[in-house]
Amino acid sequence: MTTAEAKSVSIVVNDETYDLMLDPRRLLSDVLREDLHLTGTHVGCEHGVCGACTILIDGRPARACLTFAVQMEGHEVTTIEAVSDGAELTPLQQALHQEHGLQCGFCTAGIIMTFEAYLQENPDPSEAEIRDVLSGNLCRCTGYQNIVSAVSKAAAVMRERGRE
Amino acid sequence: MTGDTTFSHIGKPLLRREDRRFLTGRGRYLDDIVLPGTLHVCFVRSPHAHARIIGIDAEEARALPGVIGVFTGRDLAEWTAPLRLAPPIEGLHPVEMTTLPIHKVRFHGDPVACVVAADRYIAEDAAELVSVDYEVLDAVVSADAALSQGAVLVDDSLPDNLVSHQSFSSGDVAARRAEADRTVEAKFQLHRHTHVPLETRGCMADWDAGREHLTMHIGTQVPHPLRSQLAARLRLEETAVTVISPDVGGGFGQKIALYREELTVAALSRHLRRPVRWREDRLENLTSASHARETLCRTRTSVRADGRILGLELELTEDFGAYCFYPANYMARVIAMILTGPYRISDYAFDVKVVLTNKCGNGPMRAPMAITSWVMDGTIDAVARELGLDPLEVRRINALRQQDLPFTMPTGEVLEDVTPLETLEAAAKAIDVEDFRARQAQAREQGRYLGLGICTVVESTTYGSEFYKAAGIPGSGHEAAWVRIEPSGAVNASVGLMGTGQGYETPLAQAVAEGLGVPPEVVKVHMGNTDIAPYGMGSRGGRGATAGGGTLFLCAQKAQKHVLEIAVGMLNLNDARGLRLKDGIVERMIDGAWVDTGISLADVARRAYLDPTALPEGVSPGLDISYTYDPPPMTYSNATHVCEVEVEADTGRVSIARYIVAEDCGTVLNPLVVRGQQQGAVAMGLSGALFEEVVYDESGQNLTATLADYLVATSCELPSIEIIEMNTPNKRTPAGIKGMAEGGIMGAIGSIANAVNDALEPFGVALEKLPLTPQSLRALMREKDQVTETVTEVRTGKE
Repeated sequence: MTTAEAKSVSIVVNDETYDLMLDPRRLLSDVLREDLHLTGTHVGCEHGVCGACTILIDGRPARACLTFAVQMEGHEVTTIEAVSDGAELTPLQQALHQEHGLQCGFCTAGIIMTFEAYLQENPDPSEAEIRDVLSGNLCRCTGYQNIVSAVSKAAAVMRERGRE
Repeated sequence: MTGDTTFSHIGKPLLRREDRRFLTGRGRYLDDIVLPGTLHVCFVRSPHAHARIIGIDAEEARALPGVIGVFTGRDLAEWTAPLRLAPPIEGLHPVEMTTLPIHKVRFHGDPVACVVAADRYIAEDAAELVSVDYEVLDAVVSADAALSQGAVLVDDSLPDNLVSHQSFSSGDVAARRAEADRTVEAKFQLHRHTHVPLETRGCMADWDAGREHLTMHIGTQVPHPLRSQLAARLRLEETAVTVISPDVGGGFGQKIALYREELTVAALSRHLRRPVRWREDRLENLTSASHARETLCRTRTSVRADGRILGLELELTEDFGAYCFYPANYMARVIAMILTGPYRISDYAFDVKVVLTNKCGNGPMRAPMAITSWVMDGTIDAVARELGLDPLEVRRINALRQQDLPFTMPTGEVLEDVTPLETLEAAAKAIDVEDFRARQAQAREQGRYLGLGICTVVESTTYGSEFYKAAGIPGSGHEAAWVRIEPSGAVNASVGLMGTGQGYETPLAQAVAEGLGVPPEVVKVHMGNTDIAPYGMGSRGGRGATAGGGTLFLCAQKAQKHVLEIAVGMLNLNDARGLRLKDGIVERMIDGAWVDTGISLADVARRAYLDPTALPEGVSPGLDISYTYDPPPMTYSNATHVCEVEVEADTGRVSIARYIVAEDCGTVLNPLVVRGQQQGAVAMGLSGALFEEVVYDESGQNLTATLADYLVATSCELPSIEIIEMNTPNKRTPAGIKGMAEGGIMGAIGSIANAVNDALEPFGVALEKLPLTPQSLRALMREKDQVTETVTEVRTGKE
């Protein structure tokens, strides 16, 4: 119940190293948002179901709300802020824009993190595979249809670029 | 089929402006806004459905380092006014509630105390240390129990739990019953839902003690009505409150009311003279924010042998939960009012009861009238079943035709510029009903059960002030806008709407661009800040396009007129005849062709602001135009949904093979955004019909407090939706806009329920209840299995 002693932790987020003193119970999602001001990672349920807080740990998707920040010592975290430099959108971001694959935008970062990682290893997914992977992220606005077509389109663009 | 082609900007599928910030993680939602020195709250909530509060001991909590204070209903009663709802509606009891409960709690999750601390972690720790002494009371957990003799009172100030009761009759339903070939009875039970916006509720109140001014940061659909509420409940002038809504992660009707938690946070900011914030967690959102639906409808239909409906009677009971944040008849009334929708029915009667129970209070959820089309088209299917007729033919024989329009519904509502028979035919053609019946017959021979469901929707979209007046509800349906052309020629605009994800920024800029005569890119629409936006009624129902877009369009037209008056002087003309603004350039009609005058909007703006003495006589300086507009009493869109399903007999699993919507929502501002709304609405309707359900046990404990229990459909369960666009403009609205975005829910619930019934036809059963879970469908089929087994036993015996 009472606060345990703060621990010194060194975390790499988006290629930058942060040395932090953290209460061990603080969630990674809270530390990213409150201490590092990376507010693109959203918290939708805090029990690992909705997927809004999905980030990458060592390149693999994970729930920031189910991770304690102190566990990240020695790991590399990537958040939505590092996906594109803001000037040019990635093929996935661009496809989500063109296909109207987002409405309120609250779930969007988690979906992008999930598929930026997935498409690296699965360049040519079927619709059923996309839907299967997407089922870990809840979206209450779109009905998923346009997200699915956006992922498919992004995969095609990325394959094309890979060939060039 | 793409609507009026005379528009330059309305109707273009422009990509959304807000996307870029959301795609790069740079949206700004409530929790992303930080003020130094902000305190955090956590609410202590009732573990009981119904109990007296005997005492609250917060000493241990207050002693925890980092805790600022613990506050209860008694504290809040000193700082705030209670909410009294007493609209003059016959059969509706006035009700009143304090900001936090003082004497008793009325549902599992009711807030009893509020802890304020330095951070959220400490606030949650302290909340667990608050000890509340309760005397547990019997809980009322169903509408039947609420209405039973001697039921415990949910609200002690009322004579019974029947908080609202209205009856209505038009024509002579008894006479129609007497002359009918058959009367058909049907029952429809829609379960309890909740909204589940991905971003839960929350707010940050910032009291400026020096200016004595409250700034409330809150994701809301209705900034100005919320400001009025906040000011009144805090006993402040409306000049002393600013509401600012940042980006909002979904609303669906849950972010309209001023909730008790939000008022508490505002009052605490003023009391403590510090910014105070609250972020609801998901458990609170599922159990304590707002629920919806849980409506039981029974219909009795008098029909001729050919399926023509002579008379219709409706009995409706809604389980409203424990508290009224809205007049209790608010949602149920609309269902009863528009039930007959797509059909030529003149003899109609309803009896509508709304009851209080020990559950979280109901509110409007995307399609407050969600059950309507299921009840009506489910009734049509019941008629077809009883009479052995083709359900499509029963629809055709009753459908409103163009020659019937304008059609006054028995409740007095007027339908015009709607096309229910046309959408029905378009959808039926697209799915090829004949082909489906052949496939269905073939599949049945192989023990597979396919079903086709049809549901035609007439959706009430824009509620004008005359509607509210007729309904006896205080309030307005008008909307307000301003358009300002700045000295550089840049165009700012504002309206009282507030989006929660719809994507207003682009379509509303298109409406302004169309009215003013500029490219949409130069227009920026500002929403959500009550000091900037004009007082409008916000976003609810399907009013955004007609009320918001329509007002902006009219305001921009007025602005164009002003611009051209100035151009008249610059061109040394007598009047503005033969002038127009097009793509930001003043053009003049010369010999039947539009010719560039060489004067741009920026030139006009420069003169208006920087050289006003050169303006024509009587033209005022600047380019600052305001406009208010009250839409017709009601606008209607219509659609027909068809859904093909397969029900697995062994498991009760429902899979959707195909889903088609033919929808006529008039002129659309931006078809891309409209399609997104259509898909999203159908998805939400299907998710609710198949999976979602708020479950209370017999003692009133909410059993669905996580997203692993309250199931929202994922990408694996939802189909792709095919849309057939139809665009019959409304003759009474600006640009012919009708509005949409809720009808998809109505049609989805009706079409999937009807489709599953069609699939189950060989079992000789018809469902009366949602959700369509595997368990409930297996239970239905087992009834038939038992019959079959008995038959088999008898047969075996004979052998």
